[in-house]
Amino acid sequence: MPLALIRKTVRGAVIHALNPAARTAGLRRGQTQADALAMVPALACRSADLEADRRALEGLALWAERWSPAVSVSASDDGLEGLCLDMTGAAHLFGGSAALPNRIGTRLAEAGITARVVVAPTIGAAWALARYGDPERRTLSVDDDSLRDSLAGLPVEALRIGADVVAEARRFGLKRIGDLYPMPRAGLARRFRDGDGIDLVRRLDQALGLSVEALVPVRAAPRYRVWEAHAEPLTEMGGIAARLPGLAADLAAALERDGQGARALTLSGFRTDGTVSGLSVRMGRPDRDPVVWLRLFRERGLERIDPGFGIDALMLSADVTEPVTDRQTEMEAQVVDDRVAALAPLIDRLSARLGEGRVLRPEPVDSWIPERAERLCPALGHVPSMPGPGDERRRPVLLLDPPEPIEALAELPDGAPARFTWRRVSRRVRRADGPERLSPEWWRPRPDDRQVRTRDYYCVEDDGGRRYWLFREGLYGREYAGHDDDRAPSWWMHGMFA
Amino acid sequence: MDPSPRLSNAPYPADPAVLEEVCAAGPGDLATAFAFALSRAPKAVRPVVLLAAPRAWLAEHGRPYGRGLPGVDLILAATTTGAEGLWTMEQALRSGAVTVALGAIEEASLAQTQRLGFAAREGGAVGMLLRFRSGGLSAARRRWRIMPAPSATEPADARAPGAGRLWAELVRSRSERPGVWMLEQDDETHRLRLVDRLAGDGLDAIGRTALAA
Repeated sequence: MPLALIRKTVRGAVIHALNPAARTAGLRRGQTQADALAMVPALACRSADLEADRRALEGLALWAERWSPAVSVSASDDGLEGLCLDMTGAAHLFGGSAALPNRIGTRLAEAGITARVVVAPTIGAAWALARYGDPERRTLSVDDDSLRDSLAGLPVEALRIGADVVAEARRFGLKRIGDLYPMPRAGLARRFRDGDGIDLVRRLDQALGLSVEALVPVRAAPRYRVWEAHAEPLTEMGGIAARLPGLAADLAAALERDGQGARALTLSGFRTDGTVSGLSVRMGRPDRDPVVWLRLFRERGLERIDPGFGIDALMLSADVTEPVTDRQTEMEAQVVDDRVAALAPLIDRLSARLGEGRVLRPEPVDSWIPERAERLCPALGHVPSMPGPGDERRRPVLLLDPPEPIEALAELPDGAPARFTWRRVSRRVRRADGPERLSPEWWRPRPDDRQVRTRDYYCVEDDGGRRYWLFREGLYGREYAGHDDDRAPSWWMHGMFA
Repeated sequence: MDPSPRLSNAPYPADPAVLEEVCAAGPGDLATAFAFALSRAPKAVRPVVLLAAPRAWLAEHGRPYGRGLPGVDLILAATTTGAEGLWTMEQALRSGAVTVALGAIEEASLAQTQRLGFAAREGGAVGMLLRFRSGGLSAARRRWRIMPAPSATEPADARAPGAGRLWAELVRSRSERPGVWMLEQDDETHRLRLVDRLAGDGLDAIGRTALAA
């Protein structure tokens, strides 16, 4: 008696599932109901209950926890749903990974469930082989050695990529995963990429185990964290964004109770395919204002969380916390304090969006070599020292780091230059001041192991009124005697004055 | 601008508008334009200055050197795209944390500059666009063109460069007539001041009270 479950889609009513009799009659999943009835007029049709399917699958997931504590549901509405069990370090309990699929398959069959069970070294390979592998083989165990060959014969759909990418790949004649092996990777990555930026190459690498899919950081569990599990996995960014304020408020309340503030937060989305997609933000000062957190997360880009096939649990954790004391403003200058108070969140936000290494502050360093005397370090979490009195000597406003070599002509070998050529423009020196002699820091050897030499700095002005900071490296006489193996003193451009 | 432009008789507009444009006359004049833009900052106990500049710009023109900018609390944001630069500048202006936000931003639409103007008004800060090309629509209230000038005579050593000078040409303004002023670096205060006219040029002494910035 052929039977089919019917689902309403944009294409109209289609077959969602069918029994062996219907399959024997030549029907297939995804066919329209009208089409199927034309082929098999006796087909019995029932409407599919996707909600009940999902509940049943979740029940099965709980049931599967007998084999692994980490079980996730790969939900899908196109008949590719399944369970993913992380068997790392657990397979030996069930007779080894070769025997495992049979054991699980037998238990499932006993429970009245027809399933295909595959054990593979990667999530991607197991997913692919369980869905697109040989239909006659109910159970399969693949090890590292046979991984490549087992995947080669599968269609490219098995790589968990979007339908548009699949269509595109087929158009280029790339039908099987094995067709992709000899292709140049850069070209594949560029051409085949779906809207989420998950490209073919990444999926291929995940399936072959060349890139790690589930990265579980080895670290102590954070003390402050709030959880929210979702019966229905979140697949949309909007869903995550809508749940974040609630999580933030709960976490803030927990921190408030203990007088703590967060310096680093992580939002982890536990994906139904057993992986975690996370997003972290850092703050320069401990903070427990949920509004500030939300803004930081938004600017960092919530879309960086990849929901994959759905996120069934969200966790917001305060990874680094510090006590927050109410600030004593009476003792400090109110003006400076207000500005510092406004500056810390600004630096947090800029660092979240641009990256911590790109929001910088100059920090004085104890050195008299100009480019070393000031280091640019990340502004995040950096306690600003009061700006120094500056140098009593003349210093440029813009510094070229490293200095650029120039050609210079001096009237006297150890005198100021009369002309110089910088960036292919020749300039006549109208006025010059110097030298200011800076001795080498001989205890810091040069990377190329050559002698560190004295610098003579000059402040010069050209015809156009532009003022430059030049130096000659090397002293005539003491550091250069004219021997063949000596380096002649050289001229360098180091900065520009206002 | 010809080599020695005719100086304006009008007072130098020392008070900065919320958003101004500072154009360097040439690629070698950027340090001068940068110093001028900094000098437009409103007086503050400890000015906080943010510079948003593309990384290529910093490599080409050099990075701001704190030892040559005494008393300035500088934050440098190295951006990669123009959109990042505009965003950074807008956030800084709106935050109320900075005194002046400088942006090395060559491309900005009218609407984008309007946004910067609103942000600056909201945060009580001053925005300065540092660029080379002048032209194009902009919400900036003043547009300056900056060119270095031969420095003042150094009393101790006639062959040495004296206090740095520059010509500031007001190309476009919503509130004043265009004009040219000559400004000079004050070694004591590290700010720019208006250069006095030579005595006996037949004009009133102007701008003595209007210190540049």
